[in-house]
Amino acid sequence: MELFLQLIVTGVMLGSIFALVSLGWVLIYKCSGVLNLAMGELTMIGGYVCLAFYQKFVTIMPVNYAFVLALIGTVIIGLILGLLTERIFLRKMIGEPVLAVIMVTVGLSFFFKGLVFMIWDTDTQVFLPRIFSIEPIVIWGITVGAVYLWSFIAAMVLMVIFICFFKYTRWGLSMQACADDEMAALSLGVSAKFVYALAWAIAFMAAGVGGTLLGNINGLNYSVSSLGLLVLPAVVLGGLNSVPGAIVGGITIGILQNLAGGYGEAYVPGSKEVAPFVFMVIFLLFKPYGLWGWERIERV
Amino acid sequence: MSYLPCGTYFESYADDQKWWRTNFIKGKMIFMVVLLAAAPYIVGSQWMSVFYTINYYILAALGVQLLIGYCGQITLGHAAFVAVGGYTSAMMVLFLPWPQFMVDAGLVYPISIVCAGFAAALWSVLFGLPSARVKGFYLIMTTMAAQWITLRLVITQLSKIGGREQSFPLPPGIIKIGPWVIDSDEKIYYFSVILVLICLVAMGNLLRSKMGRAWIAIRDNDIAAETMGVNIVVYKLLAFFVSGFFAGIAGAFWISALFFVSPENYEWFYSLLWVGIILIGGVGSIQGIVFGSAFVVIVFKLLEISVLGLSDILMTSYPEWGWVTTKIIFFKESAFGLAIIFFLIYEPNGIAYRYWQLKNYFNLWPFSYTGK
Repeated sequence: MELFLQLIVTGVMLGSIFALVSLGWVLIYKCSGVLNLAMGELTMIGGYVCLAFYQKFVTIMPVNYAFVLALIGTVIIGLILGLLTERIFLRKMIGEPVLAVIMVTVGLSFFFKGLVFMIWDTDTQVFLPRIFSIEPIVIWGITVGAVYLWSFIAAMVLMVIFICFFKYTRWGLSMQACADDEMAALSLGVSAKFVYALAWAIAFMAAGVGGTLLGNINGLNYSVSSLGLLVLPAVVLGGLNSVPGAIVGGITIGILQNLAGGYGEAYVPGSKEVAPFVFMVIFLLFKPYGLWGWERIERV
Repeated sequence: MSYLPCGTYFESYADDQKWWRTNFIKGKMIFMVVLLAAAPYIVGSQWMSVFYTINYYILAALGVQLLIGYCGQITLGHAAFVAVGGYTSAMMVLFLPWPQFMVDAGLVYPISIVCAGFAAALWSVLFGLPSARVKGFYLIMTTMAAQWITLRLVITQLSKIGGREQSFPLPPGIIKIGPWVIDSDEKIYYFSVILVLICLVAMGNLLRSKMGRAWIAIRDNDIAAETMGVNIVVYKLLAFFVSGFFAGIAGAFWISALFFVSPENYEWFYSLLWVGIILIGGVGSIQGIVFGSAFVVIVFKLLEISVLGLSDILMTSYPEWGWVTTKIIFFKESAFGLAIIFFLIYEPNGIAYRYWQLKNYFNLWPFSYTGK
């Protein structure tokens, strides 16, 4: 029972990172209708950029400050990269068929992956000196790694910031308007180009922070990008165009992965990686539009 | 050439639908077969590996083209089905207790190819089942799931058989078709050419049949197809079955070229590569598969050659820049990504469309009346 609770709690915390990254994914989809398969690579880039900043900063200041500064640097780089990506590659694809747009994001994922490995190589790299202590924290008898707890807090804070941004700022409202009905938004003077750019920038920022947190948990290497790809089952579970769905889906995938790792691995090795996808396929057979996705009614 | 010359009239529907309608086309095809047969003597045997890689990509992309280009079902997990084919064939050749006379007659590998085709086809239908209910991005996700699930299963379950590491080497001489042992690059090349010709003809014929017309109807508008009386679930699953079958054959062929099977030849990268190939070549065109595969393989090869040449220069004159050569794989990957993006942005119809334009131009030359 204790193991079960522990797996659940760690799963929720890991899942909150997935939820953060899926939030970025859903934003892009809602605002511009692009199904982004490069999310894993965006996550990985974030991790590596943060590592580079951290290694620079840590020589001149204490660890905590260095990490926070590096995180801010990652967010800024994410913003710039997001704007550039949208401007150079995605804007030309507005109005093209779905497969073409998807394959552009696949091309982007190849491009980014090659770029990252060209710059940083494929060896596993870790944040040294450690930012979070190895000592686990005990809450009500459940042991949790410090890095998980802090990741959870960071992901939650960021998600609250993003949601406030959508609800209360002018830019956020224009994004909501565009997602709701693009034609109406355009006719009321919302700039669609600006909204698309903003969505990509936010996705890059969220993925960057997510990648940093994942990199702190396991070390940075290619596996971060496959962890980042787990946002896809997460968003499918939640329905593609629902922000709460993405958050619930992310946390579900985190729990599922941890449970499969804790219990299934003994019987079926490798079930930790497979479980989210198996669950997703079976889930889709029964609820083809996810939990809160819009059902599309089609006519000839 | 694609137009018929003046004065040629067909008197029956069968004549009109023939593969080779005029003597010119017949001659062209025979010339092509002769060219393929003579290729090792023309270009030299060191290029054979490039040629059979092209053929392998054609075989693998055939199924992808069928699903995406003709049936409209987007798949991003085709490497999984190729893996099933490769592993089925290898496991059958290595571990089944074959009677001696079959081994002597060289029947083992051909039988295993057919079985690999069926195994991959069934596996593909299994993951095509959700296509009855979902489409678009949700279907992409289920095919992606196929990729992850299959590769994990292969790595964790199969790789343990016989207590070996992750790859199964195939001892020389075990890949044998009839009296021919496939052991040199030329033999692999000829074998691949024969397989590709058979599969391309089979695919072309399927597309002319009732089944192919149903697939194209589903691609163009599935609801309209359903109202016209096409049973879309059955035909979608048939499309998955046939494309899985081609994938299985591709996988079974590729073990004869590699002489081993190992999971890293079936990574997700390859699934995406094949989709990229049909996009570069042209979606919904059989020629497109050939053009796309040739383009991708040759560009990769040229990049490799140029970088290797560059590395010699670097090593002698700028030794501190030698690390550049270790990054070649990543450079290739980046370049491929950019190639897909720029093809989609600037050449969305693929190479096959340009070829068609060229053919039309020469058909009417010197009296072309189109401005293009």
